[in-house]
Amino acid sequence: MMARRKAANAFSIVIMGLCLLILVVFILLTLNVQSVIDRASEEMRAYVYLEDGVAASTSREIQMKLLGLEGVEEVVFVSKEEALASFRKDLGDSKDMLDALGSNPLPDAYRVKLKPEYIRSEYLEKLAGDAGKWEGVEEFRYGEKWLGRGEKLVRGFYVVDLCIGVIILLAVIFVIANTVRLTVLTRQKAIEVAKLVGATNAYIRIPFLVEGAFQGAVSSLLAIALLAVIHGFAQRFLPGVMFLRGDSIFGFVVFCALLGALASYGAMRRFLKV
Amino acid sequence: MVQDQRIIVGVYHLSKTFGKHFSLHDINLQVTNGEFVFLVGRSGAGKSTLLRMIYMDDVPSSGQVVVGPYVSTKMKRGTIPNLRRKIGIVFQDFRLLDDRTVFENVALALKVAGAGIGDVKHQVTDILMRVGLYHKRYDFPHELSGGEQQRVAIARAVANRPSVLLADEPTGNLDPVVTRSILELLFKINAGGTAVLMATHDLDLVKSFGQRIIYLDGGRVVKDKDMIYVGDLRDRIADSKISEKADRLEDRDITGDRGDRR
Repeated sequence: MMARRKAANAFSIVIMGLCLLILVVFILLTLNVQSVIDRASEEMRAYVYLEDGVAASTSREIQMKLLGLEGVEEVVFVSKEEALASFRKDLGDSKDMLDALGSNPLPDAYRVKLKPEYIRSEYLEKLAGDAGKWEGVEEFRYGEKWLGRGEKLVRGFYVVDLCIGVIILLAVIFVIANTVRLTVLTRQKAIEVAKLVGATNAYIRIPFLVEGAFQGAVSSLLAIALLAVIHGFAQRFLPGVMFLRGDSIFGFVVFCALLGALASYGAMRRFLKV
Repeated sequence: MVQDQRIIVGVYHLSKTFGKHFSLHDINLQVTNGEFVFLVGRSGAGKSTLLRMIYMDDVPSSGQVVVGPYVSTKMKRGTIPNLRRKIGIVFQDFRLLDDRTVFENVALALKVAGAGIGDVKHQVTDILMRVGLYHKRYDFPHELSGGEQQRVAIARAVANRPSVLLADEPTGNLDPVVTRSILELLFKINAGGTAVLMATHDLDLVKSFGQRIIYLDGGRVVKDKDMIYVGDLRDRIADSKISEKADRLEDRDITGDRGDRR
């Protein structure tokens, strides 16, 4: 009898673990996409091109003004020579083309790094409009087209991701609630007997809450373990793939334990009336 | 409602309806301390429903039940466990926990009442000795005979020294020999001062004891026959109908045994 209950328990944990695996795989995918997006915006730079032959003092002034702008994190001067050199490097084999030009066609510039939360089309458009009018500034460029497209893509991704996430989460809650309820149902007799001999609801409930929490926690650990296996496998193909952080894992386990306990509480409610 | 101190269970104008159907209709009865009362009626007469009202597993549609200081109309849900500890309850199907030993089954009643480990051990040992099952304390229910399982259930029911024991067809699943022994045990418990209210459909079983019998039919008390015998009920068993039956069964078993051996 005991063995049968243990087997049923293990079975429940496996079901819940597999179900939670879907959720953690989804979370991990989301996190990885998010980190790619973050990296892209981290690498994003705006360029302020200076007019040819601008005075050093004007240039310095522009730098100070740029640093004073909201959201600007770093302003680096890129001389036309440096720009040419890096252009040459980028061109690789076709660099002979540049030699044909004779003189350096590139302007001096400031490379501006922005804080990620300020990398938004509306804000940059305004900056470009303002800074473009400054004395000595030729142009303020930030890859307008790409940013616009990127933003749409990211927004679309988050909407779809959130919808899928909510659906998976609801499904997981549903499966866990039902699995835990089955565990409670198999012990309906024990609940009835305990009530008959005068156990208080709290006395009856506590072991079930503990069991529900235990099932939730163990199944979440099972899901994390399986996720680690999948992650290890994925890393062979995509070396940079992130794993969940320690504190998120902890949070997830606690969440699942609470979910299990709550499901247990809900399942017992009808047995503990009157 | 204040009732006579000697009354341990009082049922007053109790009715219970399920939908439009009357399950119990204006029931009035009192059980006094130390009394042994049979509640007799056919299946569906309302015996189990009445008992459930007494241990407050269900609420009357009208009227009230008073058990010691507990009044059904004034009960809060939270005090029901306290009431249950003052009542022992035994069923036809024993209701033991299959995954716990005899000892643990009996201990449960004491543990839920908050007894300490030492107390539990001491008292369970004592009770199991009294019902004659101490040697089987580590057995699981499925390893016991029906009669033994019912003894465990009775042991559990009396663990908290209740002032009244409710028994719903406690011998319904048992043959006459075992029935006799279970009755003996119930009489013994009664002799110790615990009132017993035993429901049964088997009038033959109980009428030879000269005890008070409440007849229930169609949800009404149709007759409440007073006790005509005073004294230890165990003395009456030898002359009872159940003893006759049991003796006959034992004889037949012996004959049967001989037949096998031959």
